[in-house]
Amino acid sequence: MSAMSPSQDDDNEFATLVRVICGGVFAIWLREVKRAFRDRGQLFGGFSRPIMWVVIMGVGLNPYFRGEVYGEVRFVVPYTYLQFIFPAVIALNILYTSVQAAVSVIWDREFGFLREVLVSPMPRPFILFGKVLGGATVAMFHGSLALVLSYFADVPISSADILSGLGLMFLLAFGLTSLGVIIANRIRSFEGFGVFSNAVILPLYFCSSSVFPLDPALTAAQTRVVYPDWLVRVVELNPLTYAVDSLRGNFIHFYQFDPRLGPLIMAGMAVLFFGIALAEFRRN
Amino acid sequence: MVHEEGDVKSNPSQQQSISTHSEVAQSAGIGVEVQGLVKRYGTLVALDHVSFNVKAGELFALLGPNGAGKTTLLHILCTILSPDEGRALIAGADVVQQALRARRRLGVVFQEPSLDDRLTVYENLEFHGLVYGVPAALRRKRIDEMLHVVELSDWRERLVRTLSVGMKRRLEIARALIHDSRVLFLDEPTVGLDAQSRARIWRYLHDLRQQRDLTLIVTTHYIEEVEQADRVAIIDQGKLLAIDTPLALKSAHGHEVLEVSPINAEVRAHILAEYQNKIVKTSEDQLTLKVEDGRFIEHFLSIYGSQVRAMTRIEPSLESVFLSLTGRAIRDQEASARERTLAFGKQGGEHTR
Repeated sequence: MSAMSPSQDDDNEFATLVRVICGGVFAIWLREVKRAFRDRGQLFGGFSRPIMWVVIMGVGLNPYFRGEVYGEVRFVVPYTYLQFIFPAVIALNILYTSVQAAVSVIWDREFGFLREVLVSPMPRPFILFGKVLGGATVAMFHGSLALVLSYFADVPISSADILSGLGLMFLLAFGLTSLGVIIANRIRSFEGFGVFSNAVILPLYFCSSSVFPLDPALTAAQTRVVYPDWLVRVVELNPLTYAVDSLRGNFIHFYQFDPRLGPLIMAGMAVLFFGIALAEFRRN
Repeated sequence: MVHEEGDVKSNPSQQQSISTHSEVAQSAGIGVEVQGLVKRYGTLVALDHVSFNVKAGELFALLGPNGAGKTTLLHILCTILSPDEGRALIAGADVVQQALRARRRLGVVFQEPSLDDRLTVYENLEFHGLVYGVPAALRRKRIDEMLHVVELSDWRERLVRTLSVGMKRRLEIARALIHDSRVLFLDEPTVGLDAQSRARIWRYLHDLRQQRDLTLIVTTHYIEEVEQADRVAIIDQGKLLAIDTPLALKSAHGHEVLEVSPINAEVRAHILAEYQNKIVKTSEDQLTLKVEDGRFIEHFLSIYGSQVRAMTRIEPSLESVFLSLTGRAIRDQEASARERTLAFGKQGGEHTR
C-alpha cells in the first residue's frame, strides 16, 4: 500500500480530453441504462402499459372501429382498431420513459449526483449528451417492449420493420428526452410524477391522432364535419402526431400524412430540443 | 457557467507558458492560490476580497459559521461557481480560464452525498474513473487501492443504498482520489457522523497524506478537528479574519475565560454590573468572563466565591479565538432549502433513486 500509483501525465491535453469525453459519455450512458434496469417499477410500467392499451383498450374498442357508416361519412381506414393503436402504444411507452429520464435529472440535481459530474473534467455539452443518450436508449427499449404484443394486435412484423422501427423510436426518444430535460429544468420543487403525466404525457398522446384517426380519405371540410375544428388544428400542430404517423407507417404501412414528414419532424425535434436543453444547461 | 474550452484550444505557445507557470507554482510549493476573490449575490457580498495561499501538502482548515462564505469559496475553487472578481489557481491551473485542467487536479467531497445509490460501490468508483479519463489498468488498480484504504473492499459489489452514512462518506473520499487529484476539498466531511466514524475518517486522511502528495482543504465546524490542521483560516461574513497555525491563533487571539453560574438573579445582576467590560457571553444561568491575568480569578473568588453554584476555567482554544474574532460562537448548522423534495425522495417517491 505504500507505493501509490504513479502520477498520470497530463502533457498530452488532446488525448486526455478525448479519453475523458469517450469514457465519460459511455459512463453516463451506462449509468442511465443500469439504473433503468434496476428500477422494477419502471420496468413493470414498460410491460403493463402496452398490455392495457392493446389488450384492454384495443380489444375493447376493436368492434366499433371498422367500416362503419356515420351519417354520410364513411371511414376508410383499412385496419382494425388494434392494428391502428399498436404503433401509438409504442410512442406512448417512449413518451413515458423519456419523461422518467427527465425526472432522474431532477433527482440528480437535488441529491447532488449532478455535482459529481460538474466538477469532473467532462465538458458540459457531453455530460448532457450522455444523459440524453442514455435516457433515449432506455426509452427505445421500452418502446420495443410493445413489439412483443404484435401477435395479439395482429400486426405481422418483418425484421426490416424492426430495424427501421428502432431507428425511428430512437429518434423520437432522443427528442422527447431532451424535451423532458427542458421541463425538468423549470421544476424547482418536485413531489411526484403525476404532474408530468397529466400535464405533458397524456395531452401530447391524446392529441397525436393516436387513439382516433384523422382520416386522410376525407377532405379538410369533411374532417371538420366529423371533428371539431380546434381538435383537428391541435392534432395537426402536435409534433407527436407525425411521429406516431411515422411509426404507424413503419409497422402497419398506413400513413395519414406525407411519409417524409415524420422523420423530418422527429429529427427537427431532436435537434431543437437538445439545443435548447444544452443552452440552458450551460447557463446554469 | 465557467469558461471551459480555454485550456483545450489554447495555442502551443500559450500552453508552454501555462505549464511553465504550473511548474513555478509546483516548485514554489503552492497547492492553491487565491487572489482577491469577490462574489456577490445581488447586494449581498458573499466573499469580500479574499486572498490566501495553501502550500502543497498542507492540511488547511476553513472555519466559519453557516453563511460565512465557506461554501461559496469552496464552490469557486471547485470551478462550479465563477467569481465576480479575483482569481484562483489549483495546482497552477486557473479555475475560470483553465477549468477542465483545474478539475483534473482536484477532488471534492461535498457536504451532501453525491453518490449514486442504485449503483454498487465498485460501479460508482468505475464511473468516476471513466469520467475523469483514468486509463483502464490504472483505474482498476486505484479502485482496489482506495477501497483498501477506506476499508470497503468487502463491500465492493454492494449497492450504495445499503451502506451506512459513515461508509458512504468513506466511499466519497475514496472516489475523490481515483484520479490524480492533488488538491482534495472536503466540505464538512464528518458532519452527522458519530465520534468513532469521525476518528476513522481523519485516520484515513492522515494515511493518505503520507501515501501521496496531497493538499487537503477542509471546512468544518468541529473545533477539535481544526486543531490538527497545519493552518486555519477563519472566515465570517465573506471576510478572511485570520489565517495562521492553530497555536499562533490561540496565542494571538485566544484568551482564558471563566464560566460562572450565579446562585440567583441578584448575584447575576451584580456580576453583570461589576464586570461589564469583561463579559464575553451571557446565557440563562451562565456568564462567561474574560480572564486577562491570573489575579482576576483570585479577585473574583474573594468577592463571589460563595455566591456561584459552579465555575469553570477554560484555557484558550480555537473556540475562544473564534469568539473573540467574530463576537459569536460557532453555531451548529443543518437546514436545507430543498427539504420537501428530499423528504419525498427519502420516502421512496416514485422513480427516484
